[in-house]
Amino acid sequence: MSERPSLWWIDWRLSPGPVVRETIGRFLFFCLLGFALLSLLLSGGGMRRLLADRYAITAVLRAEVPSAEAEGLARKIAALPPVRSAVYRDPEAAWKEFLRAYPGLDPLRGAGGNPMPGYIEIRIRHDRLTGADVGLVASPLRSVSLVEQVLTGEEWLPRLLYAARLASWACWGIFGAFLAGFFLVGRLQERGRVVALSGDFAFLAERGVPVGRLVFFRAAGAAVSGFLLAAAGTAAGGGALFLSLRTFPFLEGGIGPPSDLLLPRTIAAVVLFSCGTALLSAAASLLGWRAARSVRK
Amino acid sequence: MIEGFRLGVFSRGVTLWDGLDFAFGDAAAWFVTGPPSSGKTLLLSILRGERRPDAGDVVVSGESLYRGNPSLARAWRASCGYVPEQAVADAHRTVGDLFRRSALAGGGVRESEQMERTDRLLEMVGLPGALEWRISELSISERMRACLAAELLRGPKVLFCDGLVAGAGVPFWEMLWGLFRALAREGNTVVLAERRIPERWGLAAGDPEPVGPFRLYRLPVQGVKGGPG
Repeated sequence: MSERPSLWWIDWRLSPGPVVRETIGRFLFFCLLGFALLSLLLSGGGMRRLLADRYAITAVLRAEVPSAEAEGLARKIAALPPVRSAVYRDPEAAWKEFLRAYPGLDPLRGAGGNPMPGYIEIRIRHDRLTGADVGLVASPLRSVSLVEQVLTGEEWLPRLLYAARLASWACWGIFGAFLAGFFLVGRLQERGRVVALSGDFAFLAERGVPVGRLVFFRAAGAAVSGFLLAAAGTAAGGGALFLSLRTFPFLEGGIGPPSDLLLPRTIAAVVLFSCGTALLSAAASLLGWRAARSVRK
Repeated sequence: MIEGFRLGVFSRGVTLWDGLDFAFGDAAAWFVTGPPSSGKTLLLSILRGERRPDAGDVVVSGESLYRGNPSLARAWRASCGYVPEQAVADAHRTVGDLFRRSALAGGGVRESEQMERTDRLLEMVGLPGALEWRISELSISERMRACLAAELLRGPKVLFCDGLVAGAGVPFWEMLWGLFRALAREGNTVVLAERRIPERWGLAAGDPEPVGPFRLYRLPVQGVKGGPG
């Protein structure tokens, strides 16, 4: 017999039943939390992608601008870092769009020809939709001779961005509250388990197992299982989100394309989340042990 | 060799005993008797390194348990087995749980070896097939025998038993007698604390050595390896 028994997964080895039940519960919880986390990450905090999908800067061109020059300008604008797309619409396309929006106004074209000018529709990337980035795109355009007018919605945009920021904070706050709930419930579960297994821990301590080593390995086990459960749960939640986005494509407007799930920054965020969960699990284990011991004293 | 030098305990505001010397030789079965509330359980705790005596010291193989290296004291506790008089805290567990945690405390017991030894030990103490039984459903005698079997799973070098003989009951005295002799013959040490010694055992052990409120018997073990025989 070895003198130093292994204390890894000691709770599981002493009493597997309750540990399995708790693990299943935590996995399901992390599936939901992972789904929420990935939705928040992809959507840019809940509202930003939705806003970016609906917001556009319109650069109205002068009447006599040739199509080739307008398309060249659109390409230059599209190359700007905050810009997701810049599409030139010629006067004919603009007129058709106008008629779709306001049917029955065909007579306006009768006498003087097409009254609509061509324009460039500029869409901003969701992660760059800020007042500064909108200004970065709009300001140089105003000095371009081909451009008659730049419409950015400056009057209402700051308020809209502020509302989006508030919504984002609220979403992350709810997410954080669930994470804090996990920590508190985890601490209670750990405490309950320490009380239930107190006879076994006393038995081990009486047989020369150092209590400090016991506490350390319990916390280390909780950290490792916390990391694995969070990673597995988030992966499962990610799978569910992927299927949801594929099944209901309209969700992409608010959340984003499924391919974004595999972006390095998304994966890095999931790893970071799993590490944070591991730390919370270890802290819950340590505090649960301390709480159980203080009750017994 | 377990030696207690000038041991003293102050409990409940009075001196329970003081200046007691004990010497428990290896490969032997020792029987400590004493009246109720004389501090038998306390004495076993002190000898196991669990409770520091208020006076004196315990020396095991030349090393002080309480004034020496703490890791040596831990190693000593790891080599000991202990059957307590009461196992109330374990009432909600099964007999199998006792064996599981005993194996954990020992470490290094292979699953297959553990299962085989568990079955053999349970049969030996008269509890065949009791692995799934709840402790709360066992009688005092069955609890103590289950605890004894679980302790023996680790193969402790020294076995301390508190009230085991009385708790197990008369029908199991022969089994216990044979077991203790077998353990001693294998080179292990057994220390039993009881209120009184069974008559036949007392006759076989001869005159006890009086130590404070206790009487110390050495049970005869025939054919001990390297022992007095």
